[in-house]
Amino acid sequence: MIGPQTLVFLLIGASILLIVVVVIRPSITASREGKIVAFLALFVVPVVVAGLGASEHMERSEQTQFCLSCHIMEPYGRSLYVDDPAYIPAAHFQNHRIPADKACYTCHTDYAMFGTIHAKLEGLHHVYVYWFGTPMNPIRLYQPYNNRECLHCHSGARSFEESPTHTAMMGELKSNKVSCATSGCHDTFHNVDQLGHVKFWKPTE
Amino acid sequence: MLRKLRLSGILLILGLIVEALSLCWNNAFSFMSFVVIGGLLFASGILLFLYSLVSSKTSSLNN
Repeated sequence: MIGPQTLVFLLIGASILLIVVVVIRPSITASREGKIVAFLALFVVPVVVAGLGASEHMERSEQTQFCLSCHIMEPYGRSLYVDDPAYIPAAHFQNHRIPADKACYTCHTDYAMFGTIHAKLEGLHHVYVYWFGTPMNPIRLYQPYNNRECLHCHSGARSFEESPTHTAMMGELKSNKVSCATSGCHDTFHNVDQLGHVKFWKPTE
Repeated sequence: MLRKLRLSGILLILGLIVEALSLCWNNAFSFMSFVVIGGLLFASGILLFLYSLVSSKTSSLNN
């Protein structure tokens, strides 16, 4: 089975071959068929191949490896290996409660209408600022963490629904009046300034 | 017109090469290379091709 990346590479190769034909013999455009070939080679196929490439890049930008390729994100990547279950991102990452290869994207995307598009646009902005601007240091969320992102997975899960603490305040949790993250229950996150004083988990190969 | 077609083709080939190279790695640099360099080459190649179509039409009308 051909993967999407292989398909893009094959199309790039085919597109280059088609363009080379037009570049070597541009006189073919004198005929009607030649004009069609030139139109396909110099417009239709490159647009399609560029679109597929952009789509592939967008897909890859959801990966943890992509987020951590920026130097500024390195401590956040390390925090996923903290050997302490109180660290919410580390506990989720290490126990595969979220896909380990899409860890950042899974928790830091809005599970709302246009949430994916919003996350991608913010990601583009982050990459732009990283390369051409001055990233904020330390990094902060644009707005307080919304319970909606936690409840996207936890809502309906037995361990969550049957917890008396959660049951007692379910309405407040769902309406975001009580924050999962900052009300004192689950408030240990990346804490990158503490990484010098914690133990790290080493996954077995 | 033929010169413009050639140049447009060369720009598009370069854009495709940048795209292929950028897909060899998964990091912010390869993404930016694709968007900035690849995007520029693709856009200029396609626009030049479209311009060559329009200008050839105009010159044949003038003749």
